Amino acid sequence: MVLEVKKACKNFGGLAAVSDVSFSIQKGEIFGLIGPNGAGKTTMFNLITSMFPLSSGEVIFKEENINGLKPNKITEKGICRTFQNIRLFPLMTAEENVMVGVHCRSKSGVLSSVFRTKSQRKEEEHIRSRATELLEFVGLKDFAEVSAENLAYGQQRRLEIARAMASDPNLLLLDEPAAGMNETETDDLFQLIKKIQSRGVTVLLIEHDMPLVMKLCDRIAVLNFGKKIAEGTPTEIQNNPQVIEAYLGSEEEEEYA
Amino acid sequence: MLAEFINPYYLQIGCFVLINIILALSVFVPLSTGQLSLASAGFMGLGAYTSALLTIHFELPIIVGVIAGTLIAGLFGILIGVPTLRLQGVYLAIVTLGFGEVIRVVFVNWESLTKGSVGISGIPHIGREILKTFKEFGFNPQSLGLQNNQFIFLSIFFLLLVITVFLVWFFRRQSRSRVGRAYAAINLDEKAAESMGINITYYKVLAFTQGALLAGFAGSLYAHVLAYISPADFSYHRAVDILVFTIFGGSEVIWGPIFGAIFLTFLPEVLRFISEYRYMIYGLMIIILMAVRPQGLIDVTIINWIKSKVSKRGVKHGSRSEKSM
Repeated sequence: MVLEVKKACKNFGGLAAVSDVSFSIQKGEIFGLIGPNGAGKTTMFNLITSMFPLSSGEVIFKEENINGLKPNKITEKGICRTFQNIRLFPLMTAEENVMVGVHCRSKSGVLSSVFRTKSQRKEEEHIRSRATELLEFVGLKDFAEVSAENLAYGQQRRLEIARAMASDPNLLLLDEPAAGMNETETDDLFQLIKKIQSRGVTVLLIEHDMPLVMKLCDRIAVLNFGKKIAEGTPTEIQNNPQVIEAYLGSEEEEEYA
Repeated sequence: MLAEFINPYYLQIGCFVLINIILALSVFVPLSTGQLSLASAGFMGLGAYTSALLTIHFELPIIVGVIAGTLIAGLFGILIGVPTLRLQGVYLAIVTLGFGEVIRVVFVNWESLTKGSVGISGIPHIGREILKTFKEFGFNPQSLGLQNNQFIFLSIFFLLLVITVFLVWFFRRQSRSRVGRAYAAINLDEKAAESMGINITYYKVLAFTQGALLAGFAGSLYAHVLAYISPADFSYHRAVDILVFTIFGGSEVIWGPIFGAIFLTFLPEVLRFISEYRYMIYGLMIIILMAVRPQGLIDVTIINWIKSKVSKRGVKHGSRSEKSM
């Protein structure tokens, strides 16, 4: 078990964005989190990464309760994420963006950086080669020197994945990685996520592109109005009447409509 | 020969330029993590008063006073930096401006220690101390054809030059390292930086404290270069002056505040011949620049342009100028 979410609740004022959601993710699997807009999927990500505190419930990562840790500590423990609305560092080059991702796996301080001690130079070299390797991994090798804001949309999404991978996560959270991508780009993304899985990284995926989700995920949980309404394999989910109702509305409703 | 070219008045302006560069850096460093601080004048005053009082009352060597002044300012930097972490932009600017005023009012009213608005005079002078030390070793400036006060100002100037060059080198190297990347990441997107594993609390307080240390250091040097300080030296006007160096020069690259400090310190001196109109021109220039180039005069584009010009002049360049495109 890599991640276990137990009865997670989050209230914003009177609104329950997430209520009583529990699920658990096995090591090495690709786990999908789907649901209509506003179902609480991104809120769930923000709870796991401690961007928001939980109202109640627990998040357990590798047998350890990570509630209330700072977001940077959570990244250090091995959970890293991408953002639905891309949040790269726009003025930095692609390479620098990935180098920032290595931050929590390196440790040079002010003095060793300024006086370029032997260990600092070695570390800097390691950070650079790691960035190069990851840019190649996501297919952006030729764009290392381009500033992030000048990359195409699909490239920015892949750069975000490279930056997140730079922190050596055990669990990678991808928030709508295929949003705004065309079919070829989505196919590439499919390959990329499979490659990430084969590196031993567990993936938690929020996605609206249903063909991609069904093809990619080992298991899926469905949220609607902040509650989990189903969990299972892609085939089970596709045939679950409650899920169909959440997405398409129930048959009776249609008759009255 | 040499003596005719050395005018103590010009050297003194040179010294102020160098001190102002350090002050401009004290705004630039916190700003490189997105923290707009107007506390530099306050930290400067803390450094100046600490060093002045220690060297006068306890007859400590100037270097001990300067180190103590710098550290006291740094300590206050941590004390102010931690509670203001959540504040951004103008809110932080207002709080830090308030802090500077509090410091100034304390200087004015704690008369038993600071002599109030009269100020402290008779502060040990760096140049004279250097001259005294040299004379003890049997050196006489006359052997170089210099008068005593020429030697005094020349020695201060070179001392400050070495210190300033070191500081610029220090912060340039820092900005190209893991720490510099963390600063830049926080500046560009704090939330994303935090999710990428950067301890934003640590780096923001670090940058703020570095700014305080720089201002305190510049203030201590200021006290021992002028030999006289009063609360008016560290008022709101000083805070704005320091801020303008960085805003005018540009806050994207370290050369911005350096250029701003040099240019804006020289400008009133160069314009001295039109006496009272010079601050009008000074103000007008700032207004025009901010309207035309809100990012400041020196930005990344200009630096790259200069780099490409320089490398084109070199015999073989190749990749360098292409990279900067």
